[in-house]
Amino acid sequence: MIEVIDLKKVYGGITVLDVPHLSILPGESFGLVGNNGAGKTTLFRLILDLTEPTTGEVKIYELRVKRNDAWKATTGSFLDESFLIDFLTPEEYFYFIGKLHNKNTSEVDEFMVSMTEFFNQEIMDKKKLIRDFSKGNQKKIGIAAALLGDPQILILDEPFTALDPSSQIRLKRFLAELQEKLNLTLLISSHDLNHITDVCQRIVVLEKGQIVKDIQTNEGTQSELEAYFAV
Amino acid sequence: MIFTTLLIHEWKKGFRSQGFYKNLAVNILLGIFVIYLASVLLFVGLSLETILSKINDRLSPLDMYNGGLLYLMISGLLLRFFMQPLSSFDLLPYQILPIKRSAIINFLLVKPLLSVVNYFGLFVIIPFAYQSIMKYYGMEVSIRFVMCYILIIWFNSLTTNYLKRKFGGGFWSMVSLVIVLGGVLAMEYFEFYSLFNSSMQLFNYMVLSSLGLIIPMVAVLLSYGLNRWFFWQNYYPERFNIIQNKSRIYMNTLTFLNQFGSMGELIGVEIKLLFRHKRSRSLLSMSLVFLLYGLIFYTNDIYTTNHTILFFVALFETGLLMYTCGQWVISWDSSFFDGLMTTNISINTYIKANYTLLIGFNILCFLVTTPYFYFGHEITVMHLVAFLYNTGVNVFLLIILAIFNTRKIDLSRSSTMNYQGTSFKGFLIMIPMMTIPLVVIWLTSTFASYTVGLWVLGGLGITGLISHRYLIKQLVQIFNAKKYALADGFREREL
Repeated sequence: MIEVIDLKKVYGGITVLDVPHLSILPGESFGLVGNNGAGKTTLFRLILDLTEPTTGEVKIYELRVKRNDAWKATTGSFLDESFLIDFLTPEEYFYFIGKLHNKNTSEVDEFMVSMTEFFNQEIMDKKKLIRDFSKGNQKKIGIAAALLGDPQILILDEPFTALDPSSQIRLKRFLAELQEKLNLTLLISSHDLNHITDVCQRIVVLEKGQIVKDIQTNEGTQSELEAYFAV
Repeated sequence: MIFTTLLIHEWKKGFRSQGFYKNLAVNILLGIFVIYLASVLLFVGLSLETILSKINDRLSPLDMYNGGLLYLMISGLLLRFFMQPLSSFDLLPYQILPIKRSAIINFLLVKPLLSVVNYFGLFVIIPFAYQSIMKYYGMEVSIRFVMCYILIIWFNSLTTNYLKRKFGGGFWSMVSLVIVLGGVLAMEYFEFYSLFNSSMQLFNYMVLSSLGLIIPMVAVLLSYGLNRWFFWQNYYPERFNIIQNKSRIYMNTLTFLNQFGSMGELIGVEIKLLFRHKRSRSLLSMSLVFLLYGLIFYTNDIYTTNHTILFFVALFETGLLMYTCGQWVISWDSSFFDGLMTTNISINTYIKANYTLLIGFNILCFLVTTPYFYFGHEITVMHLVAFLYNTGVNVFLLIILAIFNTRKIDLSRSSTMNYQGTSFKGFLIMIPMMTIPLVVIWLTSTFASYTVGLWVLGGLGITGLISHRYLIKQLVQIFNAKKYALADGFREREL
């Protein structure tokens, strides 16, 4: 359950985000679309308390995120490479994150086995530091780490870009499964209208920091979005 | 033509980097320090003749100077090997443009020669040449003398470049260089072979003979050619940066940290961070050199009676790692700061991990410097008090400093332009932190006994240690207020 109240972010006199109200229910899959500079990443950063709101606030499960640590236990996220500790090996990184979520080594091992399909044998046992992996594989590591703490909320920024076609399809299937099994609240942003309408039940369109569309996904959604973004 | 364009780009890169204006105050301080350094060097230059003739009155000052020059050259080479960053500008955006490759390579090679730092020695050389050489040998020789010095700098710079590219700036190549230098010194000392005499003959010839300058010119050309040959052999950046690009996995097992929970894990990550980045590794190895600092002061009679200076050395030695690393404990997490802030770590744990790491550094330094206890009871007590003060007081000040350091530090880029700059500036900011305890010691030793000062400082240190929980809470407050500025600052890509 995420609640956004009167949230506004002003950067150097320009309002980059202005959301009077937005609430995302538990188990909802929420997709964010918009052109570059529409404020997608800013919204995610505000939810994750990585940047200070000019006014307003974000609450996760009734608790303000600002200057609070409680939400971190239930929220998994991966926005960009700056979430990765790139001088660790993937194994070290997973054990580290696992420890923070009070998981022991064998539980983390179990988790890594469950990721075998998604990793496609390109991640584990490579004796390589994360910084030496390709962008796509780094993304896989980041997404997996976000899932490691059994989150109730998962926030991913453009999870499909930089992934190879097979991985994109696997990720889509994987997210759908997780949602069904764990009743995960999923927040993703994407430039790929096809993928996002496949994954998300609810789509919100941002333009210049404002919510201009908030729709429940149905068969017509993709063409509706395509029409909206056509120039 | 293209050379100047590239040079202008590099200039812009420097001036447009985010840190440049933010650190304006530091830059001004740096400027003052440079002026101070220049005047000291000028003074040395003016009195060089007197100094040299005092050391040995059988040889002329020029003979003395030239005899030592080869040593200066070798130690200069060594120092450069430590300090001089490889001039690696971002080749990629230029490589695909229609620019002749040789122009780029020339730029890479010549750029370091244009750095002002190289020519600081001229503050000594020119007055010496003007005052002494001209008097005894005339105008022509004194000009050759200065020219010879400049050529030596070029030779050193180019050779360092080559050696570093070829062998890497790693730990072992450093060690082997030190061994070579030590061997030469030992030969001199045991009068087995005198480098001094050959150095004297060689450089005297260069300066005194009218064609002598040909030798250093040929040496510079050879070194330049060697570099060109290296780049000709290793055409692609991935090859000539091969040594830097290879990531070695240091510090695989830090299992003993397991027992400390999340905090221990975090400390483990920080230790790996230190060992898996070239930049922090060289910072650590530089610190090792500074550990020997005490030998200069504790053995010298002039200092052993001055308690303020002794305490300064004690403070510095027992907190060496803390002082060199402390102000970056937050900003070296810059590349994964967003991740740290969203993962399941409370800010309190994060601050406590950094605090504990610095305390660990202090304990380590204290233990490593225990051999200095050999210099007497006084030194032992001073080290103990300095350790307490560092661990109880200065550690908190350093973390505050670290929290206010919102500049992204890119440890993965091994030789950034500001490599030397940062460590140097860091040292400058330390000065006020060091002066307060020194003032206490100085005041008490002037008006009462320095032991009073030691009691005061030790007491402060113990108070800080006892109330660390409370103080860490205050740090958390400060951190929370600065958190967004930190995240924003770290996200800005700095070239």
